[in-house]
Amino acid sequence: MDKSEDLMVIIRHAPHNSNWLREGLDAALVAAAFGQSVRLLFMGQGALALCKEQQAGAPGQKATLPTIDMLEMYEIDQLNVPDQTLEELNIPLASLVNGVTPLSESQVKALFSQPRLIFNF
Amino acid sequence: MILHILTTAPLSDAARQAEQAINPGDALLLIEEAVSAALQPDLDCWKQTDYPVFLLEEDLVARGFANAASHHRLATVDIEGFVQLTEQYEQSITWY
Amino acid sequence: MDYGLLVMGAPYSQPAPHSALRFAHAILARGHQLAGVFFYHDGVHNASSLMTPPQDELNIREAWKALHEQHGVPLDVCIAAALRRGVVSESEAARHGYTAFNLEAPFELTGLGQLLTLQQRCQRLITFAN
Repeated sequence: MDKSEDLMVIIRHAPHNSNWLREGLDAALVAAAFGQSVRLLFMGQGALALCKEQQAGAPGQKATLPTIDMLEMYEIDQLNVPDQTLEELNIPLASLVNGVTPLSESQVKALFSQPRLIFNF
Repeated sequence: MILHILTTAPLSDAARQAEQAINPGDALLLIEEAVSAALQPDLDCWKQTDYPVFLLEEDLVARGFANAASHHRLATVDIEGFVQLTEQYEQSITWY
Repeated sequence: MDYGLLVMGAPYSQPAPHSALRFAHAILARGHQLAGVFFYHDGVHNASSLMTPPQDELNIREAWKALHEQHGVPLDVCIAAALRRGVVSESEAARHGYTAFNLEAPFELTGLGQLLTLQQRCQRLITFAN
Protein backbone atom coordinates (compact mmCIF):
# COMPACT_ATOMS: atom_id res chain seq x y z
CA MET A 1 0.00 0.00 0.00
CA ASP A 2 1.22 3.47 -0.86
CA LYS A 3 2.85 4.77 2.27
CA SER A 4 2.12 8.33 1.21
CA GLU A 5 -1.55 7.71 1.91
CA ASP A 6 -2.58 5.11 4.46
CA LEU A 7 -6.19 5.91 5.18
CA MET A 8 -9.21 7.60 3.67
CA VAL A 9 -11.95 8.73 6.05
CA ILE A 10 -15.33 9.50 4.47
CA ILE A 11 -17.50 12.02 6.29
CA ARG A 12 -21.18 11.97 5.26
CA HIS A 13 -22.96 13.59 8.20
CA ALA A 14 -23.56 17.26 8.92
CA PRO A 15 -22.73 19.18 12.11
CA HIS A 16 -25.32 19.32 14.92
CA ASN A 17 -27.35 16.43 13.53
CA SER A 18 -25.67 13.46 15.18
CA ASN A 19 -22.30 12.60 16.66
CA TRP A 20 -21.14 10.94 13.43
CA LEU A 21 -19.19 13.99 12.31
CA ARG A 22 -17.32 14.43 15.58
CA GLU A 23 -16.54 10.74 15.97
CA GLY A 24 -15.55 10.42 12.32
CA LEU A 25 -13.12 13.32 12.62
CA ASP A 26 -11.79 11.82 15.88
CA ALA A 27 -10.92 8.63 14.01
CA ALA A 28 -9.07 10.67 11.37
CA LEU A 29 -7.16 12.66 14.00
CA VAL A 30 -6.16 9.57 15.97
CA ALA A 31 -4.93 7.88 12.80
CA ALA A 32 -2.91 10.97 11.93
CA ALA A 33 -1.53 11.11 15.47
CA PHE A 34 -0.43 7.48 14.98
CA GLY A 35 1.57 8.58 11.97
CA GLN A 36 -0.84 7.54 9.25
CA SER A 37 -1.33 9.81 6.29
CA VAL A 38 -5.04 10.61 6.09
CA ARG A 39 -7.28 11.87 3.31
CA LEU A 40 -10.77 13.19 4.11
CA LEU A 41 -13.61 12.86 1.61
CA PHE A 42 -16.73 14.86 2.49
CA MET A 43 -19.79 13.49 0.68
CA GLY A 44 -23.41 14.69 0.77
CA GLN A 45 -24.40 16.38 4.03
CA GLY A 46 -20.85 15.79 5.31
CA ALA A 47 -19.63 18.69 3.14
CA LEU A 48 -21.52 21.05 5.48
CA ALA A 49 -18.84 20.32 8.06
CA LEU A 50 -16.59 22.59 5.98
CA CYS A 51 -18.86 25.67 6.06
CA LYS A 52 -16.65 28.48 7.28
CA GLU A 53 -19.45 30.43 8.97
CA GLN A 54 -20.73 27.59 11.17
CA GLN A 55 -20.83 27.94 14.95
CA ALA A 56 -21.79 26.08 18.10
CA GLY A 57 -25.38 24.79 18.21
CA ALA A 58 -27.90 24.01 20.93
CA PRO A 59 -26.54 23.29 24.44
CA GLY A 60 -24.06 20.43 24.22
CA GLN A 61 -23.51 20.81 20.49
CA LYS A 62 -19.92 21.98 20.21
CA ALA A 63 -18.69 23.80 17.14
CA THR A 64 -16.93 21.66 14.55
CA LEU A 65 -14.86 24.41 12.99
CA PRO A 66 -12.08 24.31 15.63
CA THR A 67 -11.59 20.62 14.79
CA ILE A 68 -11.56 21.35 11.05
CA ASP A 69 -8.99 24.08 11.68
CA MET A 70 -6.88 21.57 13.63
CA LEU A 71 -6.61 19.15 10.71
CA GLU A 72 -3.68 20.99 9.21
CA MET A 73 -1.71 20.63 12.46
CA TYR A 74 -2.14 16.88 12.08
CA GLU A 75 -0.91 17.13 8.50
CA ILE A 76 -4.33 16.23 7.13
CA ASP A 77 -4.32 18.51 4.11
CA GLN A 78 -6.26 16.45 1.59
CA LEU A 79 -9.85 17.69 2.00
CA ASN A 80 -11.97 16.56 -0.93
CA VAL A 81 -15.59 17.24 -1.87
CA PRO A 82 -17.27 15.83 -4.99
CA ASP A 83 -18.47 18.48 -7.47
CA GLN A 84 -21.77 16.65 -7.39
CA THR A 85 -22.12 17.32 -3.65
CA LEU A 86 -21.43 21.05 -4.08
CA GLU A 87 -24.04 21.21 -6.82
CA GLU A 88 -26.67 19.27 -4.90
CA LEU A 89 -26.21 21.36 -1.76
CA ASN A 90 -26.02 24.54 -3.85
CA ILE A 91 -23.04 25.64 -1.80
CA PRO A 92 -20.22 27.57 -3.48
CA LEU A 93 -16.64 26.54 -2.81
CA ALA A 94 -16.06 30.06 -1.47
CA SER A 95 -18.40 29.30 1.47
CA LEU A 96 -16.12 26.51 2.62
CA VAL A 97 -12.89 26.70 4.59
CA ASN A 98 -9.65 27.13 2.65
CA GLY A 99 -7.84 24.16 1.24
CA VAL A 100 -10.80 22.16 -0.07
CA THR A 101 -10.25 20.38 -3.40
CA PRO A 102 -13.39 19.59 -5.41
CA LEU A 103 -13.36 16.33 -7.35
CA SER A 104 -15.07 15.33 -10.58
CA GLU A 105 -17.20 12.19 -10.78
CA SER A 106 -14.32 10.19 -12.24
CA GLN A 107 -11.83 11.52 -9.68
CA VAL A 108 -14.15 10.36 -6.89
CA LYS A 109 -14.41 6.89 -8.44
CA ALA A 110 -10.62 6.81 -8.84
CA LEU A 111 -10.23 7.28 -5.07
CA PHE A 112 -12.07 3.99 -4.63
CA SER A 113 -10.30 2.12 -7.38
CA GLN A 114 -6.99 1.62 -5.60
CA PRO A 115 -6.54 -0.43 -2.45
CA ARG A 116 -6.41 1.73 0.66
CA LEU A 117 -7.82 1.53 4.15
CA ILE A 118 -11.17 3.29 4.40
CA PHE A 119 -13.44 4.30 7.26
CA ASN A 120 -16.92 5.46 6.32
CA PHE A 121 -18.69 7.76 8.77
CA MET B 1 -12.00 -4.52 -5.72
CA ILE B 2 -14.52 -3.48 -3.14
CA LEU B 3 -17.63 -5.09 -1.74
CA HIS B 4 -20.04 -2.23 -1.09
CA ILE B 5 -22.57 -3.09 1.60
CA LEU B 6 -25.70 -0.94 1.54
CA THR B 7 -27.97 -0.96 4.59
CA THR B 8 -30.49 1.73 3.64
CA ALA B 9 -33.41 2.08 1.22
CA PRO B 10 -32.59 2.21 -2.52
CA LEU B 11 -33.22 5.94 -2.95
CA SER B 12 -31.54 7.07 0.29
CA ASP B 13 -28.56 9.44 0.48
CA ALA B 14 -26.31 6.52 1.40
CA ALA B 15 -27.46 4.58 -1.67
CA ARG B 16 -26.59 7.49 -3.93
CA GLN B 17 -23.21 7.91 -2.24
CA ALA B 18 -22.44 4.22 -2.76
CA GLU B 19 -23.26 4.69 -6.42
CA GLN B 20 -20.75 7.57 -6.62
CA ALA B 21 -18.04 5.32 -5.20
CA ILE B 22 -18.64 2.03 -6.98
CA ASN B 23 -16.42 0.97 -9.88
CA PRO B 24 -16.81 -1.74 -12.52
CA GLY B 25 -15.55 -4.97 -10.97
CA ASP B 26 -16.82 -4.09 -7.50
CA ALA B 27 -19.94 -5.72 -6.05
CA LEU B 28 -22.96 -4.39 -4.20
CA LEU B 29 -24.60 -6.32 -1.37
CA LEU B 30 -27.99 -5.12 -0.11
CA ILE B 31 -28.73 -5.89 3.54
CA GLU B 32 -31.20 -4.74 6.20
CA GLU B 33 -33.49 -1.97 4.88
CA ALA B 34 -31.76 -2.06 1.48
CA VAL B 35 -33.41 -5.39 0.62
CA SER B 36 -36.60 -3.48 -0.16
CA ALA B 37 -34.92 -3.05 -3.57
CA ALA B 38 -36.32 -6.54 -4.24
CA LEU B 39 -39.74 -4.92 -4.67
CA GLN B 40 -38.48 -2.54 -7.36
CA PRO B 41 -37.10 -4.44 -10.38
CA ASP B 42 -36.92 -1.19 -12.37
CA LEU B 43 -34.20 0.34 -10.19
CA ASP B 44 -31.01 1.36 -12.01
CA CYS B 45 -28.94 -1.06 -9.95
CA TRP B 46 -30.85 -4.02 -11.43
CA LYS B 47 -30.45 -2.76 -14.98
CA GLN B 48 -26.72 -1.95 -15.05
CA THR B 49 -24.12 -4.60 -15.88
CA ASP B 50 -20.92 -3.00 -14.47
CA TYR B 51 -21.08 -4.82 -11.14
CA PRO B 52 -23.08 -7.66 -9.61
CA VAL B 53 -25.78 -6.88 -7.03
CA PHE B 54 -26.91 -9.32 -4.35
CA LEU B 55 -29.71 -9.33 -1.78
CA LEU B 56 -29.13 -10.91 1.63
CA GLU B 57 -31.51 -13.86 1.79
CA GLU B 58 -32.07 -13.80 5.57
CA ASP B 59 -33.07 -10.13 5.52
CA LEU B 60 -35.40 -10.76 2.56
CA VAL B 61 -37.09 -13.64 4.32
CA ALA B 62 -37.45 -11.69 7.57
CA ARG B 63 -39.24 -8.88 5.73
CA GLY B 64 -41.38 -11.09 3.51
CA PHE B 65 -39.68 -10.13 0.23
CA ALA B 66 -38.15 -13.51 -0.68
CA ASN B 67 -40.91 -14.37 -3.16
CA ALA B 68 -40.66 -10.94 -4.78
CA ALA B 69 -36.91 -11.41 -5.25
CA SER B 70 -37.31 -14.81 -6.87
CA HIS B 71 -40.25 -13.60 -8.98
CA HIS B 72 -38.07 -10.80 -10.37
CA ARG B 73 -35.10 -13.23 -10.72
CA LEU B 74 -32.84 -11.10 -8.53
CA ALA B 75 -29.59 -12.57 -7.18
CA THR B 76 -29.48 -13.49 -3.52
CA VAL B 77 -26.82 -14.76 -1.12
CA ASP B 78 -27.36 -16.24 2.33
CA ILE B 79 -25.21 -15.25 5.30
CA GLU B 80 -22.57 -17.80 4.29
CA GLY B 81 -22.58 -16.25 0.82
CA PHE B 82 -22.07 -12.86 2.49
CA VAL B 83 -18.93 -14.26 4.14
CA GLN B 84 -17.80 -15.70 0.80
CA LEU B 85 -18.18 -12.27 -0.82
CA THR B 86 -15.93 -10.79 1.87
CA GLU B 87 -13.40 -13.55 1.14
CA GLN B 88 -13.51 -12.76 -2.55
CA TYR B 89 -13.35 -8.95 -2.30
CA GLU B 90 -10.30 -7.64 -0.44
CA GLN B 91 -12.08 -4.61 0.92
CA SER B 92 -15.55 -3.67 2.02
CA ILE B 93 -17.29 -0.38 2.67
CA THR B 94 -20.58 -0.17 4.53
CA TRP B 95 -22.95 2.60 3.46
CA TYR B 96 -25.56 3.53 6.07
CA MET C 1 -8.55 -15.48 7.35
CA ASP C 2 -8.47 -12.97 10.21
CA TYR C 3 -11.58 -10.82 10.45
CA GLY C 4 -12.34 -7.77 12.56
CA LEU C 5 -15.77 -6.22 13.06
CA LEU C 6 -16.59 -2.56 13.66
CA VAL C 7 -20.03 -2.20 15.24
CA MET C 8 -21.57 1.28 15.36
CA GLY C 9 -25.28 0.73 16.05
CA ALA C 10 -27.20 0.41 19.31
CA PRO C 11 -29.01 -2.86 20.05
CA TYR C 12 -32.83 -2.81 19.91
CA SER C 13 -32.68 0.62 18.21
CA GLN C 14 -30.79 -0.30 15.07
CA PRO C 15 -30.21 -3.51 13.11
CA ALA C 16 -26.40 -3.16 12.93
CA PRO C 17 -25.39 -5.13 16.05
CA HIS C 18 -27.90 -7.87 15.32
CA SER C 19 -26.55 -8.20 11.76
CA ALA C 20 -23.00 -8.12 13.10
CA LEU C 21 -23.65 -10.92 15.58
CA ARG C 22 -25.13 -13.11 12.84
CA PHE C 23 -22.13 -12.36 10.62
CA ALA C 24 -19.70 -13.14 13.46
CA HIS C 25 -21.14 -16.65 13.82
CA ALA C 26 -21.08 -17.13 10.04
CA ILE C 27 -17.37 -16.29 9.71
CA LEU C 28 -16.49 -18.63 12.57
CA ALA C 29 -18.64 -21.36 10.97
CA ARG C 30 -16.57 -21.03 7.79
CA GLY C 31 -13.38 -21.60 9.76
CA HIS C 32 -12.14 -18.02 9.89
CA GLN C 33 -10.73 -16.30 12.97
CA LEU C 34 -12.48 -13.33 14.57
CA ALA C 35 -9.60 -11.20 15.85
CA GLY C 36 -11.78 -8.66 17.58
CA VAL C 37 -14.96 -6.64 17.69
CA PHE C 38 -14.65 -2.88 18.16
CA PHE C 39 -17.70 -0.94 19.39
CA TYR C 40 -17.83 2.73 18.40
CA HIS C 41 -20.46 5.49 18.18
CA ASP C 42 -23.85 4.16 19.40
CA GLY C 43 -22.37 0.65 19.26
CA VAL C 44 -20.99 1.22 22.76
CA HIS C 45 -24.49 0.47 24.13
CA ASN C 46 -23.91 -3.20 23.28
CA ALA C 47 -21.63 -3.35 26.32
CA SER C 48 -24.13 -2.18 28.93
CA SER C 49 -24.50 -4.83 31.63
CA LEU C 50 -27.69 -3.10 32.75
CA MET C 51 -29.56 -3.84 29.52
CA THR C 52 -32.64 -5.79 30.45
CA PRO C 53 -34.70 -6.86 27.46
CA PRO C 54 -37.92 -8.84 28.07
CA GLN C 55 -37.29 -12.55 28.64
CA ASP C 56 -38.47 -13.53 25.17
CA GLU C 57 -35.86 -11.28 23.52
CA LEU C 58 -32.18 -11.98 23.07
CA ASN C 59 -29.90 -10.20 25.53
CA ILE C 60 -27.35 -9.02 23.00
CA ARG C 61 -24.70 -8.22 25.59
CA GLU C 62 -24.88 -11.83 26.79
CA ALA C 63 -24.61 -12.97 23.17
CA TRP C 64 -21.39 -11.00 22.67
CA LYS C 65 -20.11 -12.32 25.99
CA ALA C 66 -20.80 -15.89 24.85
CA LEU C 67 -18.85 -15.21 21.65
CA HIS C 68 -15.91 -14.15 23.80
CA GLU C 69 -16.21 -17.16 26.08
CA GLN C 70 -16.54 -19.71 23.28
CA HIS C 71 -14.09 -18.23 20.78
CA GLY C 72 -11.87 -15.87 22.77
CA VAL C 73 -12.97 -12.86 20.75
CA PRO C 74 -11.77 -9.55 22.29
CA LEU C 75 -14.62 -7.05 22.80
CA ASP C 76 -13.17 -3.53 22.72
CA VAL C 77 -15.26 -0.45 23.40
CA CYS C 78 -14.14 3.08 22.49
CA ILE C 79 -13.66 4.86 25.80
CA ALA C 80 -14.51 8.37 24.55
CA ALA C 81 -17.68 7.23 22.79
CA ALA C 82 -18.70 5.12 25.81
CA LEU C 83 -18.15 7.67 28.58
CA ARG C 84 -20.00 10.33 26.59
CA ARG C 85 -23.01 7.99 26.42
CA GLY C 86 -22.93 6.82 30.05
CA VAL C 87 -21.30 3.44 29.49
CA VAL C 88 -18.75 3.34 32.30
CA SER C 89 -16.40 0.71 33.77
CA GLU C 90 -15.77 0.26 37.49
CA SER C 91 -12.44 2.09 37.36
CA GLU C 92 -13.84 4.98 35.32
CA ALA C 93 -16.77 5.21 37.75
CA ALA C 94 -14.31 5.47 40.64
CA ARG C 95 -12.30 8.12 38.81
CA HIS C 96 -15.42 10.22 38.25
CA GLY C 97 -16.90 9.58 41.71
CA TYR C 98 -19.91 7.62 40.44
CA THR C 99 -21.68 5.03 42.57
CA ALA C 100 -22.58 2.77 39.65
CA PHE C 101 -20.96 1.29 36.57
CA ASN C 102 -22.31 -0.73 33.67
CA LEU C 103 -19.35 -2.05 31.71
CA GLU C 104 -17.58 -5.19 32.84
CA ALA C 105 -15.31 -7.87 31.44
CA PRO C 106 -15.14 -9.33 28.88
CA PHE C 107 -15.83 -5.85 27.44
CA GLU C 108 -12.82 -3.55 27.70
CA LEU C 109 -12.67 0.23 27.42
CA THR C 110 -9.91 1.22 25.07
CA GLY C 111 -8.83 4.01 22.74
CA LEU C 112 -9.46 4.46 19.03
CA GLY C 113 -5.87 3.36 18.44
CA GLN C 114 -7.11 -0.17 19.11
CA LEU C 115 -9.45 0.12 16.10
CA LEU C 116 -6.53 1.15 13.88
CA THR C 117 -4.49 -1.77 15.18
CA LEU C 118 -7.38 -4.15 14.49
CA GLN C 119 -7.76 -2.77 10.98
CA GLN C 120 -4.07 -3.27 10.25
CA ARG C 121 -3.86 -6.71 11.85
CA CYS C 122 -6.91 -8.18 10.09
CA GLN C 123 -7.18 -9.15 6.46
CA ARG C 124 -10.82 -8.06 6.56
CA LEU C 125 -12.54 -5.37 8.61
CA ILE C 126 -16.31 -5.39 8.15
CA THR C 127 -18.41 -2.48 9.41
CA PHE C 128 -21.96 -2.75 10.71
CA ALA C 129 -23.61 0.63 11.23
CA ASN C 130 -26.88 2.46 10.76
